[in-house]
Amino acid sequence: MLSTLKQILSDNWQWRHQIWDLAKMDLVKTYRGAALGKVWLFTKPAVYILVYWFTLSVGMRHSSDVNGQPFLLWLAAGVFPWFFMSDAINRGSDVYHRYSYLVNRIKFPLSVISTFYTLSIMIIFACTMLFTIVVCLLTGVHLSRYLLQLPLVMLVMFVFWVAWSIMLSPLSAVSKDFANLIKTLSMPFFWLSGILFQLDALPPIGQKIMAFNPVAWCVEAVRDCFVYKQWFWQRPDELIPFLIVFAVVVLLAVRNYRRLHKEVPDVL
Amino acid sequence: MSSRQTVSAVDLGDAVVIRDEDRENPVAVRFDHVRKTYKLYKNDRQRLLASFSNHVRYDTINASDDLSFECRRGEALAFLGDNGAGKSTALKMITGVCFPTSGTIEVHGRVSALLELSAGFDMRLSGMENIQMRCQLWGLSDEEASEIIPGIVEFSELGKYIDQPMRTYSSGMRARLGFAFASSIRPDILVVDEALSVGDRKFSAKCRKRVQSIIEKENVTVLFVTHSTAQAQQFCTRGIVLSHGKTLFSGDIEEAVSFYEST
Repeated sequence: MLSTLKQILSDNWQWRHQIWDLAKMDLVKTYRGAALGKVWLFTKPAVYILVYWFTLSVGMRHSSDVNGQPFLLWLAAGVFPWFFMSDAINRGSDVYHRYSYLVNRIKFPLSVISTFYTLSIMIIFACTMLFTIVVCLLTGVHLSRYLLQLPLVMLVMFVFWVAWSIMLSPLSAVSKDFANLIKTLSMPFFWLSGILFQLDALPPIGQKIMAFNPVAWCVEAVRDCFVYKQWFWQRPDELIPFLIVFAVVVLLAVRNYRRLHKEVPDVL
Repeated sequence: MSSRQTVSAVDLGDAVVIRDEDRENPVAVRFDHVRKTYKLYKNDRQRLLASFSNHVRYDTINASDDLSFECRRGEALAFLGDNGAGKSTALKMITGVCFPTSGTIEVHGRVSALLELSAGFDMRLSGMENIQMRCQLWGLSDEEASEIIPGIVEFSELGKYIDQPMRTYSSGMRARLGFAFASSIRPDILVVDEALSVGDRKFSAKCRKRVQSIIEKENVTVLFVTHSTAQAQQFCTRGIVLSHGKTLFSGDIEEAVSFYEST
């Protein structure tokens, strides 16, 4: 196990320059909407946010300020990280099909595919976060020193979703059914993880279960930066379950990689 | 493939793969009793189950079975054999995209490969973007890349098509660009798997000249798979005849071709 982990880490270190180039290339590919190109990067999130905002505040009359911060900011601080995680769940857990030519045409370490794909969606996520901060500054919304933990939160999210991708991609490569199963799970993740409602609304038992949901933790951590104004390590009741899940994901990632990385090129 | 990577000996259970960038080694590629076993499951679900349990039943097929041969530096070696003889599997193991089940493989030098008609291009990127990306993956600096890219574009004869998405290319165009790239990046070992069978006669002649020149000038070792014995005779000096994953004959190309045609 340890040697596999070392292998994964050293592969990623050795290819670090190419990781950046490949992530950029992935973005070029995704957003080549001809003339509009980069505009799409912002159009889709903007439309989603407006629709959620309309549904919740106009339709369901549920839009009071959260912790003194505007409801729209609370919403954005949940929906933007969700876009990142939705890509990580839908596409990140099946990267070998997306990049099959790197698997069986070129000698390329498989774990690095997970890294650069996650990096490419992380770049978009960083842009949306920057956009949120700029809008806050322009509209005079008060931002606190707790925003300083945002880079750390993003780094934790990056490592977690890379490990997630290394854990599930070999299984998705082996079985298309498995890939579809994970994609099906993305909708319940969205509705159950407190992206559109506050988790305090859940009964205590629900909150305990939700503490083991990595999507919920990531969303809450980003909201800590913008809305709740607390350090994420000040909530050990949620941090510890998340760290347990994190450790399990890393362990399974190493196990699946070790067991299947030689078989993946044979079946793809 | 990274330029910094030097020696690596990967121990894969029973199999050993030794790779380094020692281009002075007189042996370029050596296979020693190499076996490659593919596991055949009844369906994908069985295969998925097998990743959790060791008790799932599967069939096996040996694509390479006790395969041994040696390819010396600067040689042009052709693999001859019917479909399913294990030619492509052997080339994939040399390239490093698939792993032997047992035996020892030695590869001395960096391998550039054209496997199964494609050099590993992304269909959604343009030809130029693909070339740039592959230059980065090969570990070339921007200056080195911009030095060789004009030559690649010229050799591939794609002209204005070079900036069009790869998915709009014909198979001949893809093969031309693939061969142009794979042979231009100064590999130590060039692996070509059937890619030239889609090109026309003019392009084939051009490739032959290129192969001869890189063998002479850059001391490149070429490994070549083809169904056309005529093409093998034009490109190669030595031949290996494979059948059911085993070496039946190894020697001079003329003798290998006549051996293959007699069986």
